[in-house]
Amino acid sequence: MRGYGSTLGLYQHGQGFLYRTPLSLKAVASLACAVAVVTWRSPSTTAITLTVTLCALLIGAHLSPLRILRMLAPAAPMLAILALYQGLAQGWLRAFTVVGGITACLLAARAVTLTTPMQSLLDGVVRLVRPFRVVGADPERFALALSIMLRSIPYLAGLFMDVREAARARGLERNARVAVTPLVIGAVAYAHRTGEALAARGLGEHDGDRDRGMDPHDPGA
Amino acid sequence: MIEFRAAEVRSDDDQRMLLQPLTLTLSERRVSIIGANGSGKSTLLRLINGLRTPSAGSVAVFGRDTRTDARAVRQSVGFVFTDPLSQLVMPTGREDVELSLRARKLPTAERLRRGEEVLGRFGIQHLADRSIYDLSGGERQVLALAVVLAVEPRVLVADEPTTLLDLRNDALVRALIAGLDQQVVFTTHNLDFALESERTLVIDDGRIVFDGPPPDAVARYRALAGRSADAPGLDRTNGP
Repeated sequence: MRGYGSTLGLYQHGQGFLYRTPLSLKAVASLACAVAVVTWRSPSTTAITLTVTLCALLIGAHLSPLRILRMLAPAAPMLAILALYQGLAQGWLRAFTVVGGITACLLAARAVTLTTPMQSLLDGVVRLVRPFRVVGADPERFALALSIMLRSIPYLAGLFMDVREAARARGLERNARVAVTPLVIGAVAYAHRTGEALAARGLGEHDGDRDRGMDPHDPGA
Repeated sequence: MIEFRAAEVRSDDDQRMLLQPLTLTLSERRVSIIGANGSGKSTLLRLINGLRTPSAGSVAVFGRDTRTDARAVRQSVGFVFTDPLSQLVMPTGREDVELSLRARKLPTAERLRRGEEVLGRFGIQHLADRSIYDLSGGERQVLALAVVLAVEPRVLVADEPTTLLDLRNDALVRALIAGLDQQVVFTTHNLDFALESERTLVIDDGRIVFDGPPPDAVARYRALAGRSADAPGLDRTNGP
């Protein structure tokens, strides 16, 4: 299995002011970008948000333009179809507004995950979810579930590429069943392995369960 | 101290006996388990930290039953898988070590400090921010050990920890395990590794056929393997 962490994945160690910016500020800025794009749907809003996010990644995270383009590659087919549809149906200015706005939001969200270590991200999620404790939510479990979900995206992308290459090597790339079946089985096996790994490490347990646990340093335990 | 009290394991469909009733106490610091593929080694190991519960009988670690106190037992028993990629769930080593420490509910600064300390103790700080997919097999296994030992369990259970490694990394992981303070129970196909333990169990077809000093155990296993080689076809029908 190859790793796709650098293409789709999460934190990348690096330099730049975005790495030193508090998570809360980055999250608010990312949210503001999405709100602006949705609230003021105009080419100028799109142009401004796109410029700001691009500058943030270029200057704030020291990324090259090529690297930014590669980050968008997985979403490129969907964006291209959307742009074509919007362009033909409602005009190219409208297509720029919609697709440019989505791209700005994607880049803004990516700027947050790219420059924030996973554990800091989880701490932020735990803080965010903490008020929901009163209705029975467990912030640590919520954060763990979110991190596993984020972690699974690049893994499954890698699995898809491996399966496709294996099918191609056997001359079966046009057979959808050959491509999909190993992907589904691989995904289920991955879920099973991850669950077992978490269980083996005692992660994702309720607080009450943990409180009942024995102290590993207690010789009398 | 690990106690098996008439612990047996049947397959999910209840048709096959994966592990025959087993009663023994493991108190030595290093215990190895050897046997053919599919003989029940991994099943036995999984009983120790409650990943698998016995179909009948019981298993206790430091007096805690793995069925009724499974979560408590897992906090005291670290488990190392054969393939470290099955174990590492975060994109980088540093994040995975910190994930382990999250279970201890430490303040962020303390968690970061202890994470650095663990990485330093295993000499893998330079690998901490690399993708786990960019690491060699040996580096991954050392990282997997660090991840499990970050929470300082009292017992380490390792399922063929050197099987996927080349000779150099095999020696590295064995040296690391030899230097641990914890009680270690491991399965292996490497008979030299088994000889480094204080007690060896030989398991065949779900049954402990020898329990004693490693040299004698290895001799017994070689004799068993020789007999199996003389028989035509595969001699195992049950899974791990």
